[in-house]
Amino acid sequence: MYIQSVIVTICTNVISVVGLALLTGYTGMFSLGHAGFMCIGAYTAVLTHLHLGIPYLLALLLGGLTAGLVGLIIGYPTLRNRLRGDYFAICMMGFGTVVRLIINNMNNPIVKGSTGISKIPQLTTLWSALFITAALVFFMWNFVHSQFGKNCLAVQQQEVAAEMMGVDIVKTKLISLVISAFYCGIAGALLAFWIQYISPNNFTDTKSNDFLATLVTGGTNSITGPVLAAALITTMLEYLRFLANWRLVIYGLLYVVIMRFRPEGLMGYREFSFRGTLRFFRELPARLKGIREKVTGRKGGV
Amino acid sequence: MKRILDVSALTIRFGGLTAIDNFSMHIDEGEFVGIIGPNGAGKTTFFNSLTGNVTPASGSVNYCGTSLIGKIPSRISQMGISRTFQNIRIFPKMTVLENVCIPLHSKPTYGLFPAVLGLKSAKAEDERIRDEALSYLERLGIGEYRDYEAGTLPYGLQRRLEIARALAAHPTLLLLDEPAAGMNNDECRELVELLKKIHRECKLTVMLIEHHMDVIQPLCDRLYVLNLGALLREGKPGEVLSDPEVVRAYLGERRKRK
Ligand SMILES: Nc1ncnc2c1ncn2[C@@H]1O[C@H](COP(=O)(O)OP(=O)(O)O)[C@@H](O)[C@H]1O
Ligand SMILES: [Mg+2]
Repeated sequence: MYIQSVIVTICTNVISVVGLALLTGYTGMFSLGHAGFMCIGAYTAVLTHLHLGIPYLLALLLGGLTAGLVGLIIGYPTLRNRLRGDYFAICMMGFGTVVRLIINNMNNPIVKGSTGISKIPQLTTLWSALFITAALVFFMWNFVHSQFGKNCLAVQQQEVAAEMMGVDIVKTKLISLVISAFYCGIAGALLAFWIQYISPNNFTDTKSNDFLATLVTGGTNSITGPVLAAALITTMLEYLRFLANWRLVIYGLLYVVIMRFRPEGLMGYREFSFRGTLRFFRELPARLKGIREKVTGRKGGV
Repeated sequence: MKRILDVSALTIRFGGLTAIDNFSMHIDEGEFVGIIGPNGAGKTTFFNSLTGNVTPASGSVNYCGTSLIGKIPSRISQMGISRTFQNIRIFPKMTVLENVCIPLHSKPTYGLFPAVLGLKSAKAEDERIRDEALSYLERLGIGEYRDYEAGTLPYGLQRRLEIARALAAHPTLLLLDEPAAGMNNDECRELVELLKKIHRECKLTVMLIEHHMDVIQPLCDRLYVLNLGALLREGKPGEVLSDPEVVRAYLGERRKRK
């Protein structure tokens, strides 16, 4: 049972991080508030299921769509006014907090404020989680390799030129934001129907930080990188629970190490493949030598 | 002949600095016009105002009868104006071919659902666009570099890539901002031949900013000389370049700031 729980948690984190990979890794916009979209997705799905009798799968979809819609509503004014990158990140952090506070203060018998909603039926199963995750990763893979995804990359790498080549910047950024919100919404809903209890405090800034750390670790211009990183980091945090309180320290260290030695993340601009992995291990000795030289700051010899 | 671009009494200010001062000019269809002037004369700023990157303080800019003022760059691009940049602006981490594909699908040619589902029709469309992009690379003589990461190309090839990418946007009016910067004499001569060929084959109207006179002279039908943001002289290259005032502007007169 415990191992199943770890796997489902991995699945929800994979979905969220893959959503964020589009926004941050491909389009180049940082967000520190995507847990807010998870929260919206979870509450929408649970409430529509409990009170309107919407079936499980439809409730998940509804959770995702609502999160996407909210993304559209807050994204349009911020992006249309060409808010600069760092301001956008702060704006999203504010959004995450506001969502949590609003739900905290909705002390009615339906939303139940900070008490949270318990006795949610456990409708998410290991298999539904795995299947939905696989489907969403597959869709994202196709998206980033499509014309849409290439336009996102162009915006990230050279916004002025992208716009001069006809790419609609606002629309491209908005699509990325809405899709990433949709993914987080579904992840939140999936999680709610597994842990059977949700409260606004399940979706704090810590969670948004977790996603960003996972993404940076996995590589910002890849889909498989973040997927692997989500699996690794979730497992690590599950089995080394005593580390949970140290996570900010660990992320700090992780960021420093990654920025120093591998700013493009584990996978960087590449995708995971078995042939690539073989080559990696063959080249490993040479790489390690390179790293040692970087650390000691000199090349071989004395 | 059809008037492509009509600029009248254009003034652009950055704070207290008047970068373009009451400048008027025009281009007819098929013309090859040069803009010259010392550094800081406002040539790049003039291009930026045509492409929607800076907003003029006053004056009018009409392109094929429509005003460009207040339009955003992506819209202006779709109206048929394309450009290269003085400080190269390629997409450095994409391949050379992907760089040229961007203008061809800046408005995606299929919907979100075919993209997400990875449908065959979408893949076929991608293939068609890659073929077209490759034809531009070949026209610029850089087809063999198609799979190189664009940022790793040498400087001269990056400039060519920018021209290929600008052409892929299917322009009517092409703006080239110092395409020969940093090139030696041989490379300049090659560039001249290339631009002649492109101008002829693509039926383009071209506006060229350049300092190399051996690029300007063989290509341009007419020249505008800017100095300190204002028009100094306009006319055929032979007349303009021998004008003593133009020579004086080039030989070291510096922008006087108030
Ligand atoms: N975005 C800007 N903000 C402030 N000043 C600018 C800006 N762009 C250009 N300038 C100023 O306008 C003047 C003209 O610059 P520019 O158009 O780049 O000249 P040129 O291309 O002819 O060398 C220069 O003095 C430059 O410093
Ligand atoms: Mg310039």
